[in-house]
Amino acid sequence: MRDPPDAAFLLALAREAEAQGGDAKLAARARAIAERERAAGDAPVERLRRALAERYGEGRIEDLLCRLAGEIRAGAADAPGPARAALRTLLWSMTVQKLAESNPDYLAAAEAHPPSPGRRNSPSSGPCVSLRDRGRPEASLGEGDA
Amino acid sequence: MNAAALRRYLTEATGARSAEIDELRRLPDGAVQENWLVAARLEGGSLAGGWRLVLRTDGATALGIGLDRAAEFQVLRAVHAAGISVPQPLLLCEDCAVIGRPFFLMHFIAGAAAGERIVAGELGGERQALVARLARELALLHAITPAHPGFACLAPPPVDAAEARLEQCARLLAADGAPHPVAEWGLRWLIRHAPPPAEPVLCHGDFRTGNFLADAQGFTALLDWEFAGWSDPDEDIGWFCLGPWRFGAYGREAGGIAARAALYRAYEAASGRRIAAERVRWWEVMAALRWLVIALRQRDRCLIGGERSLDLALTGRRPAECEFEILTLTEAA
Repeated sequence: MRDPPDAAFLLALAREAEAQGGDAKLAARARAIAERERAAGDAPVERLRRALAERYGEGRIEDLLCRLAGEIRAGAADAPGPARAALRTLLWSMTVQKLAESNPDYLAAAEAHPPSPGRRNSPSSGPCVSLRDRGRPEASLGEGDA
Repeated sequence: MNAAALRRYLTEATGARSAEIDELRRLPDGAVQENWLVAARLEGGSLAGGWRLVLRTDGATALGIGLDRAAEFQVLRAVHAAGISVPQPLLLCEDCAVIGRPFFLMHFIAGAAAGERIVAGELGGERQALVARLARELALLHAITPAHPGFACLAPPPVDAAEARLEQCARLLAADGAPHPVAEWGLRWLIRHAPPPAEPVLCHGDFRTGNFLADAQGFTALLDWEFAGWSDPDEDIGWFCLGPWRFGAYGREAGGIAARAALYRAYEAASGRRIAAERVRWWEVMAALRWLVIALRQRDRCLIGGERSLDLALTGRRPAECEFEILTLTEAA
């Protein structure tokens, strides 16, 4: 679920950059990502794997994500209804988890600034509900999509 | 960078009696291409005198999309002639024997393209004036249509720019090989909500904070024309407003500089064209998807191409920002 490159690769490049007098901000960012992932461990990935396994049956997370992507590509989420709402909730949880590890400042900034009126829903309505209220009936999170 | 070879080239290309290079160093801007400052003194010839120039050449590894340096040089020359504020292009060298890669030279313009410093207010001057100036530059650019001479280097205008971008992004996404469920969600939404085609105009293709120069007083020049092409004018507006290009100033939706409404007002006044918010919204979803697939290719320059760049590696972690935008923007308005 975590996007490549992995934390070990980022740390190796950060060390190289520091040794060569490179951009200290970039090195610090790489180290921070690695630290957040170390602190979280495998739990977020396993949580997602279990959620996917409920839809598709047991399997490796890579294979289950392929099933999910294929299902969406085939149009399974095109029509409004509970199926689309459930998929959206799943996608929000994945995205917020990744962003919380890769760029938590972005997440915080987005949640602190509602978008301009009339353009779209508050970004916090999706990810925060799906993260904080895991296990709530997905349909209650709202349909979304115009 | 081979300074001696560059000195010889400058002498021959300008007909100078001699050329000296006093300074040659890589500039920090440019994630895809390389930009080098060249401080040169030429005796005689078409560029006689002392000059601060910028040499722009291919990066160590290629992104695989966008214009090559020769086409970018032609575009830069044509937009400069059209009155858009860009560095004046001077010389194009396609002979790889000189520095190993094709390159072009243009006049150096003072300022920095650092997005964080611009949104923090250290550069760019007063924010409302800056966004108004950017809107005027964009309106001037969008007044250029395919009938305009000087852009023969560009691919013909697509019948439907939205459809063309959709096809490109779907192809690049499929080429990545890994599953991207949120990107697939975005693609399906874009297909379902595609706008009617607009008359194609010249678009910058990467018009955003970080791709223009600014000094403490304000805007100085628009840079990085490698993604220029004929498209829907709302593509540039949607790209400019995309969350990742606000450099942390998320609440200022126009590039982290000002409110979206300020950009729209200034652009409408300068162009005479009314902006339809729903069309921009579509192009902003497209911008999120397009930046996602470009980020994957940037990452691969490091993971597959072998370029040991921490910046490129960290770009591999940026798709989550695009996924956040796709899900946010496709919420019911």
